[in-house]
Formats: sequence, C-alpha cells, structure tokens
Amino acid sequence: MSDLRIINIEKQYPQTQQKSEPAFSLQPVRLTIKQGEFFSLLGPSGCGKTTLLKLVAGLLPADNGEIWVGDDNLTAVAPEDRRFAMVFQQSLLFPHMTVEDNVAFGLKMQKISKKQRLADAHGMLEHVGLGGYGSRFPDELSGGQQQRVALARALVANPRVLLMDEPFSALDPSLREEMRELLSRIQKEFRVTVLFVTHDREEAFYLSDRIGVMSEGTLLQVGKAKKLYEQPVSAKVALFLGLKNIIKGTVADGRFSSSDQNFEFLVEDTIQTGPCLLILRPEALQPVTKAAALHPDSIQVSGVIQQMRFNHGFYSVKVKVGSNKLDCSIASQQAEEMVPGQKIDLLVKLKDIWLIVE
Amino acid sequence: MKKPRRLLNSILFLLLFIVIGLPFVPLVLSSVSFGWQWPNVLPESFSFRVWEYVLAGSSGTWSAVGVSLLIAFIVTAVNILLAVPAANALVRYSLRGKWLIEAIVFAPIIIPPFVAVMGIHLTFLRLGLTETIFGVVLAHISPTLPYMVRAIMISYNTLSVDWENQARMLGAGPISRFAHVVLPHLLPGIAAGASLSVLISLSQYLITFIIGSGQVVTLPILLFPFISGGDPAVASAYSLLYAGIAIMALVGMDIALKKYYQNKKIATGKG
Amino acid sequence: MWQKTKPYLLLLPAIGTIVLLFFGGLFDGLLKSLGYFPAIGETRFEVTAYTDLFRSSEFWESLVLTGRVAALSSVIAAVLGAVIAVSLFMLNESAKSGGAQLWHRLFQLPLTIPHLVGGYIVVLLFMQSGFLSKILASAGLIDEIRDFPVLVNDPFGWGIILTYAWKEAPFVSLMIYPVLSRIHRSWRDVARIFGAGSWNFIREIVLPVMVPAWTIATFIVFVFTFSAFEVPFLLGVTYPSMLPVFSYQLYTSGTLADRPEALAVNIILAALTILLGLVVYYFSKRWNVLKGWD
Repeated sequence: MSDLRIINIEKQYPQTQQKSEPAFSLQPVRLTIKQGEFFSLLGPSGCGKTTLLKLVAGLLPADNGEIWVGDDNLTAVAPEDRRFAMVFQQSLLFPHMTVEDNVAFGLKMQKISKKQRLADAHGMLEHVGLGGYGSRFPDELSGGQQQRVALARALVANPRVLLMDEPFSALDPSLREEMRELLSRIQKEFRVTVLFVTHDREEAFYLSDRIGVMSEGTLLQVGKAKKLYEQPVSAKVALFLGLKNIIKGTVADGRFSSSDQNFEFLVEDTIQTGPCLLILRPEALQPVTKAAALHPDSIQVSGVIQQMRFNHGFYSVKVKVGSNKLDCSIASQQAEEMVPGQKIDLLVKLKDIWLIVE
Repeated sequence: MKKPRRLLNSILFLLLFIVIGLPFVPLVLSSVSFGWQWPNVLPESFSFRVWEYVLAGSSGTWSAVGVSLLIAFIVTAVNILLAVPAANALVRYSLRGKWLIEAIVFAPIIIPPFVAVMGIHLTFLRLGLTETIFGVVLAHISPTLPYMVRAIMISYNTLSVDWENQARMLGAGPISRFAHVVLPHLLPGIAAGASLSVLISLSQYLITFIIGSGQVVTLPILLFPFISGGDPAVASAYSLLYAGIAIMALVGMDIALKKYYQNKKIATGKG
Repeated sequence: MWQKTKPYLLLLPAIGTIVLLFFGGLFDGLLKSLGYFPAIGETRFEVTAYTDLFRSSEFWESLVLTGRVAALSSVIAAVLGAVIAVSLFMLNESAKSGGAQLWHRLFQLPLTIPHLVGGYIVVLLFMQSGFLSKILASAGLIDEIRDFPVLVNDPFGWGIILTYAWKEAPFVSLMIYPVLSRIHRSWRDVARIFGAGSWNFIREIVLPVMVPAWTIATFIVFVFTFSAFEVPFLLGVTYPSMLPVFSYQLYTSGTLADRPEALAVNIILAALTILLGLVVYYFSKRWNVLKGWD
C-alpha cells in the first residue's frame, strides 16, 4: 500500500511588514489519502488549501510535520525527486516547446530515451483526446486543450500522487464539466491518487471519493460528500456547502426549542444539553399535503412565502417562519400553485434534521 | 478617411527624408567623391579610392574592427554572467534596502562613466591595466551593465515562479530548470540587453581613449583624427563603415534570435 | 539561512563590479579632487581645486554653455520626437496594417548611429562649405561661403544642438509611443461623436495623455546631453567648452597640478547629474511614467 500520509503538517507565515495583512497560519493537518483515492480539499479562497497542496508538493517548506507515501518519508525530499505531478490553475505549458515535448518533459527529466518518451507522450495525448496535436505549439491550442495537455503531462510519468490546484477554474462552465468527466474517467483508468484543490463544491462533489472542508487555515471536516452534506460538524461547514437554513436554539430536558419558539421537538438523549444549531436541508422542507398530514416522525411549521425562483427543475422558495427565513426546494408541480405572500405549512421528517452542538 | 491618410503619409515621408535620408546623402557622396568644390551639389568626379584605402589590409581598419568587436563581445558576455543572477534577485526576492541596490546598479546610466574612468585612471596605470584590452573591457562594463540588468529584469518580470514549480513537479533539478525553462524565457531579454551592450561599447570614445591611451585602437579611436579635420572622404567612408557595423551588430543579433526560434520550430516540426 | 542570504549572493558579482569599477572610480576621483594623492606625496585634504574653479570665469561660462546646449537640444528633440510619435500614432489609427511598425523602426535608425558619426554628419551638412550651403548656393540664395551662418564649431553650440536633436528625437518618440498606443481606438470614435476633428482629438486627448512621458523623456535627454563628451569635443570650440570637454582639457593639457581641478569638474558634473536624475525619478514615479519598465 502506498497511501499518502500527511502528518501534522504546519505552516506559519510571518507577519508581513504591512500591518493591515494579518499573519496567516496553517494549523496542523493530519490526513491519510488512500492509494487510488480522489481526495478534494474544498474551501473558500485564502483558506490555506493551496498552501497545504504546496506543502505536500514540497514547493513550500513546512514548519513542522511529515509527508509520507507508503514507507517513504518524503519530508526532506526535494519536490523534483518526489515523483509527484501537479496541474496548476494555468496550464503552464512551456511556450517554446511543442505539445509533445511538453508532455514528454517529465520523462526527459527521468532520462528516458527520446523514442520511448515520445511514444509515451503520444499515447497519453490519445487518452486526453488530443491525438493529432503533438507537433503544435501551446499557443495554437484553446484553453481547454491546453489544460488537457497539462493533464497528460502530469500523468505520463506515472506519478505517485497527482496534485491539482483548481485546474479548471480558468475555463468556462461547459468546458469545465467536460474536463470533469475526462478527469474522472482517466483517474479511474489509471487508478492514480489525486489530491485536488477547489472552491467549487459541485466540482468536488462530482469528482471526489472523499472531501476535506477547509477554512481559515484549519481542516474542519473530512468525509464522503453525502456525509458532509447531511451531517456537517459546524455552521461554517454547513454554510460553505450551501446550507443556509441554520436555526439557533437550545436543547434542554431532551427537547430542542428554537429561540423564536417556532421549532420544538424531542431529541435523543445522546445530544448534549445547551445551545445548539438546527440545520435544515432545503430539500427536506416540503409543503404539507393532505396525505402526509401529521406524520408521527415529523414536525410541522407554518410561514409566509416571500420569494420564489425557478431553478433548473425545481423552485427555490424563501419562506419566513418566525424570525427565520428558510430556503426550500420544492418540485415544480407543487410550486406552480403557490404565490408570494401566501401562507404555507411545511413539514420536516425528524430523520432529516441535523443538530450541531455549539 | 482617405484624404487625411494621404496627408499623414506625405508628412511622414517628408519627416523621414529630413530625419533619415538627407543626413546620409552628403556622407555617402563624400565617401565616393574625388574633389568636391563649393558650390557644387554633386562631387566633380567619383572614385572608390578611399574605400579601397579603408578596406585594404594596410590601413588597420580590420584590426580596429576586430578589436572593437572583441571588446564589445567580451563586455557583453561578462555582463550576461553578472546580470542574470542580479536580475533574478532584484525581481524575485524582497530585499532589504532595495532602493539602494537599484540606485547602485543603475547609477552609471545617469552619472557619466568618464567621471569614474578619469578617477580610476591613475590606479589602472599603477596596476598596469592601461593600454591593454583587458583594461578597456573593465572600463566598458559599468556603462553597459545597467542596461543588461534592466533588460533581463523585464524578462524575469514576465516569468512566473509557477513555471519553475511546474518543471520541478515534473522532476527537473535546478540545472535542468534553468536550461529548459528559465533560459529560453530570458533569451529575448538577454538579446535585447546584448544589443544595447554591444552598441554602447562600440560607441565609447573617451573612456577607451583614456584607458587605452591610444594603444588600444578601436574604430572610434581610428576614426576620430579623420573626422576632426582629416580627409573628408576618408572620414565619410569610416563613418559609414562604423555606423554599418553598429547596425549590423544589432540586426545580426535580431536575426540570430529569430533563427534560433525558427530552427526550434523546424526541428520539432520534423521530429 | 541560505534562503535569506541567497538573493544577496546573487547580487554580489554585479554590485561588486559596479562598486569597484564605478563607485571606486568616483571615490578615487573625489579624493584626488581634494588633493589627496599619496603617490605624489599629497596626503592632506584641501578644497583649493573647488575654490579655484568657482573663482574662474571659464568654469561659469562652461556651465552656462552646457546648460543652454542641453536645454535647446532637449526641447528641439522633444518637439521633433512628438511630431514623429503622433504622426505614427495617427497613421496606426487610420490604417489596420502593420505599416506603422515599419515606419517606427525606420525612425529609430538615428538611435543606432554612434555619436561620433552623428556629429560628423552634422559637420558635412551644416558647415559653412557643407551640403546645405552648397544647395543654397546652387539655388542662388547665397553667393559666398561666408553667407552661410557658422553652425559648426561655433561658440553658441548649434552644431552640438543639431546633433543631439537629431539623435535623441527618435528616443523621445520611442518613449511616447507606448503611452499613445494605450489610447483606445474607440476613444477616437467617441471624440468624433462629440464633434472633435483630428486636430481637436490631438489637442484634447493625445497631448494630455502623452505629456508626462514626454516631459520625462525630455528631461532624460537633457541629463544625457549635459554630461556627454564626444559630440561637443568634435563640434564645439576650445573656449568656452562644455563641462565634460572642459574637464578633459584640464586633465590632458595641463600639468599634474591641474588634475585635481579636472576631477573637481567631474565631481560637480556627477553631483549635478545625480540631482537631475533624482528629479526625473521623482516625477516619473509620481506620474507613473515608467510603469511599463518596472
């Protein structure tokens, strides 16, 4: 097994001379990425995810901690000798080399014979769908093609780990989706370990086996996409995953009650007494129909529709319940009968409710 | 739209003639004249005798051309070696007292170099550096080096560290990174700096004269007695030759660079 | 540790060379101008060279001449350079081809001509029996050589001024042109919609945009002309001579005792150019003219 292990890696940036910029630090990170796994670091810009990636690559020296792949301690190994590969935000193809020379560059550095490396480069270009483009120069290619070449260049030397730093963020949305599919297919084909950095949660959800959510230099939560989405450990994670329905309240005597008293229900004994946040996923909130009325394992609240927006295939409806505004995703069919200003009763199943102890 | 364009074109043609064409007319005519009395607009008769004299082996022209170019190229080579690391440091690192360092490096652009050369003349004399090509090379470095640093700094400015990081991630060590990534990118800047360096070195008269004491004969040293009151025909021929060599050095550099990229393109196109 | 000292080590060869060869020379010159010259047994510091200079009328006349020649050369070069740059710009605006590029290159030719050759061209053109005089005589406008004004080796310095105006005009246009090319093509259309013709467009938009770069370029030409040697040496007169030539005359023709004075002239010259250089630097930073250079 050659898993990538990141052991308490840590980085402090000294206070810069301009006092307005606060010192940034990356809190110790401990993480194991399994061989062949696609792992994404998800977080807003400036959260330290690129710093972590560069620490793994060795492009930045870490203050503390170690990087291992399998049984090799790579902490003190120079980046060029780690046998990692990296794809950056820009394609960074060398402009004075042809596409195939670019792809073969890593092999050339490993002193592989010209014939062999060009053959490998050709093969890899075929894989990314750029078979006939070998003798062109990078500036003759479109942005998407350039990024494919960058991907081919990274993969051709059979790296132990592929690091990717927001590689598709400079592309336009349709191209981004195409590249996502390509990357996903190729990653499965070559079973390469990938550490992927992005701020785009759709991208992370689409591609990853597991995701780590980062904010302000701290790794907040690691898990599969579904788990993160349904059971975020903190309000920050929830917000970053697009869960805006966060309701403040307290748990006392086995009951949760929101601060505006609109939500009250029994909770399991395992939940600690004290201040608490209630997270409601927008698709868990559904209008009450006669059939589903008063389901035993659910709670019901009433509110007023404030705003409706069509969103591919469903409606995003903003409902004011007490002092909270809740986002609900409601199927088009049901939503077509609603108008803003109308009163509405909403139902949530208890199993869809998630509580975060503050 | 057509009319102002024609007007503009004729203004430019007139300017071009006055600025570029006219000045060279008497120079060329004079170099091939055989007697040219006032008030004749054209020489009475033409002859290539001075060109024969200038280009013949005995006049010392070719050795002067050789010495000039030798000095210019040594100076340029030294400048490249000094300027590449310096430009790297100035562009890529945050330095303490950067303004002072830049002031030192670029001072010879503003302060006339002969001031320093006259100051150091006696020291050079004592060290036995006067009357030698080596001494003249040393004297030519300070007026040319700042331009080389400037030109390479501009190239470094457009070279993101990401490129080298990318090469690193593909397994390139420091030497490979420099050879395959940094140098090709710097080459246009180095060529521009080299052109300036060669040009400036070629046009130095005073500092060559002071340090060379008339013993290191470069083209301007050879030329000067003729243009300050010698035979105008010879002076004209030398002037044309001198200007021609300066322009050729520049054009040659340009062509060499273009050829380098073309060859690369052809070689890779075939392979 | 290595990371901290690395940039300084990279700078060391270049800085060392310049400090040793250039500042060493300046310092050496400064010491000798103060009479400190151990090789001939002088180890005391004295300012006699400077006081003698300040008392001599030769020095002041030389300084005035230098200032006047530099000012006139730079102003003429500035006007000529601006005409070239604006014409090229307008040509580029009205044409889509790369023709302007070729024009631009042609106009840079004088930049590559060595100064001595430039000076000699002016000699051939403007001396009393020169090419222009011949043309005027053939056209019947003058009758004798003496009718043509003395423009070469004249006490006023016209020959020097003409040479620098010719050689530095392309430099001025080279400095302005990039600034002009930042003027967006659509600005002209906008100007036209509001009723501005070509001339108004130049006056209201082109000139204001180029003024900072223009001023700086003119200043640079001034500083350069102020301290140049070759052309004044060739085209000037022995008295009064421009400062660099004055220094050279003192250095070579006089005795060893005159050398401190020559070096004192140099030090004053260096101080003046540093001062002028600082002025240029200050304004260029303030106006952001050299932005493209940094």
